Amino acid sequence: MSNNTIVENLKREIENFSVQIKVEKVGKVLEVFDGIAKVSGLSDIKSSEMVTFPRGETGVALNLEEDTIGVIILGDFSKIKEGDEVKATGRILEIPVSDKILGRVVNAIGVPVDGKGVLKTEKTYPIEKVAPGVITRLSVDQPVATGLKVIDAIIPIGRGQRELIIGDRQTGKTAIAIDTILNQKGQNMICVYVSIGQKDSKLRKIEARLEEGGAMAYTVIVSAGASEAAPLSYIAPYTGVSIAEYFMDQGKDVLIIYDDLSKHAVAYREISLLLRRPPGREAYPGDVFYLHSRLLERACRRNKEYGGGSITALPIVETQAGDVSAYIPTNVISITDGQIFLETDLFYKGIRPAVNVGLSVSRVGATAQIKAMKKVAGTLKLDLAQFRELEAFAQFGSDLDDATKRQLERGKRAVEVLKQLQYAPMKIEHQVVVLYALTKGFMDDIAIEKIKEFEKGLTDYSEHHAKVFFKQIAEKKMWDEKGEEELTKVITDFKSNFTKS
Amino acid sequence: MTVILNKNIAHAIYLASKDKNHEEQSLVFKKVAQFLARKRLLSKTKEILSFLNKIINEHEGRVVAKVSSVEKINEKTHREITQALAHHYKAKEIKIVENLDKKLLGGLKIEVNDEVIDLTIKNKIGKLQEHLTKSL
Repeated sequence: MSNNTIVENLKREIENFSVQIKVEKVGKVLEVFDGIAKVSGLSDIKSSEMVTFPRGETGVALNLEEDTIGVIILGDFSKIKEGDEVKATGRILEIPVSDKILGRVVNAIGVPVDGKGVLKTEKTYPIEKVAPGVITRLSVDQPVATGLKVIDAIIPIGRGQRELIIGDRQTGKTAIAIDTILNQKGQNMICVYVSIGQKDSKLRKIEARLEEGGAMAYTVIVSAGASEAAPLSYIAPYTGVSIAEYFMDQGKDVLIIYDDLSKHAVAYREISLLLRRPPGREAYPGDVFYLHSRLLERACRRNKEYGGGSITALPIVETQAGDVSAYIPTNVISITDGQIFLETDLFYKGIRPAVNVGLSVSRVGATAQIKAMKKVAGTLKLDLAQFRELEAFAQFGSDLDDATKRQLERGKRAVEVLKQLQYAPMKIEHQVVVLYALTKGFMDDIAIEKIKEFEKGLTDYSEHHAKVFFKQIAEKKMWDEKGEEELTKVITDFKSNFTKS
Repeated sequence: MTVILNKNIAHAIYLASKDKNHEEQSLVFKKVAQFLARKRLLSKTKEILSFLNKIINEHEGRVVAKVSSVEKINEKTHREITQALAHHYKAKEIKIVENLDKKLLGGLKIEVNDEVIDLTIKNKIGKLQEHLTKSL
């Protein structure tokens, strides 16, 4: 662009520009502190209406009092002075959305922060919206493949479900979420990762990892870092779900991850206390349940008449020393359709993902599981539970009958098979093959140290030799006698060439 | 627990003192002062009075407008503003408080209660700047 065209463009824009004069509602800043402003005037303002400050910062009116209002400031509050003019906009807080947002990292108000230039958008979505009603919904019956054996087999997740990932620090909660995003390649899924109060270095690592795995093409990251003010952390999940709704309104399936809601609750507690709302249990305000329930209720699967599409939510909650009976964990457990429970003990025993199979449940996911997986994984959960019981019991003596010994050996192998490395998602067909081999007893005479090797070899081998079986799974989601015969032969063939110990 | 709002007190004072002669009014005011002292509300007097002022203005159809400009507004503009505001707010009486502010560059800024009609050059330039940075 030469200088002349710039000037021409400017001239044209200036010529076409006209100011619409309208009556504006204006208030004055009385005091500013910690991301909160008390404003006088603005008598007819609505709750959670957007206001603007002289230097372009936006705020949201949260507390409406007799002659003042409490505003949370989204952005830098250090430049706002006492006496500044505050203008009401008449609009509820909204964020810009467009298809171009895919692959970008945006902050809590939808502004890109990844240095890849401005995002041109035409549409805006309000961040607070009432969740879809009963009539518009459809029950969950399509699976979300996470690529993790233990989850896809035992705690299956369906499209439109809300499944909580809960556990202590450093137990691999984020790892499960990231693996799930990585596995959505080619699954017709848009992913939104909302990072709330996380370290910027961690987010950078996640972004790099997603980029490497080619997952950023269908992923949006909403970031409210630890260094940003609490109001931004507070609105970030709502921003994320609004972006998700934008894609759902196009009939697409969306996966949204909130990492994590305990920090979100802490941010909301901070705001509430500063706004002088009365504290309740653990100093959280009274509406902290509603805070999360209205957010998670927006995850849904809509029926065709109302545009289709779904939002699957994977909220993450961090517990302190395994205490799930704290306020926020119990709240979110009761809101969600099940939880994936991660344990430090399992993690250090080398069982990774450290999922506690006994305490984890998926209340609606079973209907979404494909038939073949249901068949092979049906007894797995029970087997594992029995194994845990026997394992404790077997420590007292070695005089065990053969049936018990067999069950113990099977259990040990099941635990081994369910272990999985990070960033190594597995296709659902491969999972079925491995679990089939396990439950039908083909692995019983393989040494435990060799299980991983066997698993790897078997999946590679079957990929080339069990074509009929794979085709049946891909098309009909279930095998028939012919497929089973082929698979049995493939497993036996492979086993005969495998050194067992 | 019921909270007595400043607004309610102001309203009560207005109702009590309305349509009374001078003697009765001074009695009312004396009682109001006693009431405020008893309820320990004397520190709130300023707020209550400002509310009372608003209520009286509202009831008597009087609108106070603050008009800011760079130079003193002339008779004709003054009359026009009065007419326009009287029409807009359906008021019987418009009281204009003038205010001179060089920073506005030109034009007028009319403030009534918490509503603002900003017709200044400064505002227009700001809007233009916003428009240009957004569209280009």
